[in-house]
Amino acid sequence: MNEMEMLFEALGIQLEKQRRSAVLAAFQPMAQEIAKLRSLDLTDVHPAVVFAPMPMSQQD
Amino acid sequence: MRENPITRPIAELSADLRLGKLTSPDLVENALDRIATLDRKLESFVCLAEDARDQAAVADREIAQGRWRGPLHGVPVAVKDNYLTADMPSHAGTDAPGVHFARQDSTVVAKLREAGAVIIGKTRMHEFAWGNVTPPSKNPWDLSRVPGGSSGGSGAAVAARLVPVAMGSDTGGSIRIPAALCGTVGLKPTFGRVSRAGIVPHSWSLDHAGPLSYTVADSVYALNAISGHDPKDPGSARTDVPDFTAALGQPITDLRVGICRNHMFDSNQPDVDAAIDAAIRFYRDAGARLVEFELPILAFGLGAIFAIELSSSTAYHSRNLASGAVTGFTEDVRTLVEMGRLVTGPDYLKAEQLRRVLIDDLAKVFADVDVILGPTCPLTAWPIGEWTVRVGAQDESVLAASWRLTYPWNLAGLPAISLPCGFDSAGLPIGLQLASRPFDEMTLIRAADAYERGHRWKEMHPKV
Repeated sequence: MNEMEMLFEALGIQLEKQRRSAVLAAFQPMAQEIAKLRSLDLTDVHPAVVFAPMPMSQQD
Repeated sequence: MRENPITRPIAELSADLRLGKLTSPDLVENALDRIATLDRKLESFVCLAEDARDQAAVADREIAQGRWRGPLHGVPVAVKDNYLTADMPSHAGTDAPGVHFARQDSTVVAKLREAGAVIIGKTRMHEFAWGNVTPPSKNPWDLSRVPGGSSGGSGAAVAARLVPVAMGSDTGGSIRIPAALCGTVGLKPTFGRVSRAGIVPHSWSLDHAGPLSYTVADSVYALNAISGHDPKDPGSARTDVPDFTAALGQPITDLRVGICRNHMFDSNQPDVDAAIDAAIRFYRDAGARLVEFELPILAFGLGAIFAIELSSSTAYHSRNLASGAVTGFTEDVRTLVEMGRLVTGPDYLKAEQLRRVLIDDLAKVFADVDVILGPTCPLTAWPIGEWTVRVGAQDESVLAASWRLTYPWNLAGLPAISLPCGFDSAGLPIGLQLASRPFDEMTLIRAADAYERGHRWKEMHPKV
């Protein structure tokens, strides 16, 4: 298994080869936008999603 | 009985129903006749309730016995095909084999029934709420053009005056975009204001449920009926629900109207800019104070919503991916669902961090501003089958262009409304978008209602 195959398997991407090309191509413009986020230093910013350990029925 | 009563707003219908000048069965029959005649061209409905006449008869009996439930009592209402219903099948816009949904009422449908509404049918949507086109539905203003999406069926049905209210869902703009392109009101409440329980999920932290309607007041009546905490929706807010009708007919002389000069006005069709400039002058002349500001963080918003939306949708469709049902999806939706696995965990969480920054930056804006005003879409309805359009100085994908101005309010969960504010040179509707603080739908409604009362756009509807 080459490195690309290993990466796909690790990420759970179960696509046939011809689908992979189409999906990767379609993802490229979105990947470029997502990549912009990596330039931001948000080290001290808590994500907007916050874990709540209480069951829904017991939350205030 | 006046001709085509179903084309009248709910306030008028409700008054006549309560006084016995109009019956719910007559109203439902009128709606069904118009759907039978006009929807052959529009294809806005995917299913009609077999018991619509029975629902109307029950409503009529209750009203006659003095058991009036409120403005929606006896009024036909449609719901988007991703709202589960006990009496009609749900498909979430998909024909894929192996995908099934329960026959049970979503919380919103149950609340509408409790309010006495007649659930007359289900409207077409773009498959699994991905996409802004909603094939094969047509725009009632020009049948060669799209109604927008993903709640395009609801937009077309309301614009054509088939029903006064149709429910939609909005993850990046899917209530507001069809509202703008079809010339209706479309309201996305604050995240958590309206339960999503029983609505097929697209993205858990971005999905909102809300109405499309003839008028601002019609959306308000629906909002009153459907709001409130629901323990079945983990995102449902435990927040008091005011009577939103108290915001109707109120002055706006103290209103501070914010105009975000970056992002919202970067690249719009000239007719859109002209209509929004006129709306700004209206608010200024009505005594509101205009406050210009910028939100630099919006430069990163598209990447954030891509990361969140793609990964959420793929997570939701894990079962459909594992079973192979996804191979039955339309090509564009299949590709979107498959690519979510390419979004990494750290990128997703970075997007959620970006979201926190946006929320905090907006809170600072709202210290000086009550509502944020701008266009809903940078363009008007585009021809069916076209995927690229010239907006401003550049060619742009219609999908990228259409949601550019709406998705920020999904990222931030703000309440936002689109209402008609004019037409372009081809006679196609233009939408004005207002957004307000979280859970401040009262100010949003006050601002929107004042604009609507100051214009006659709501009286204009297409001849299908």
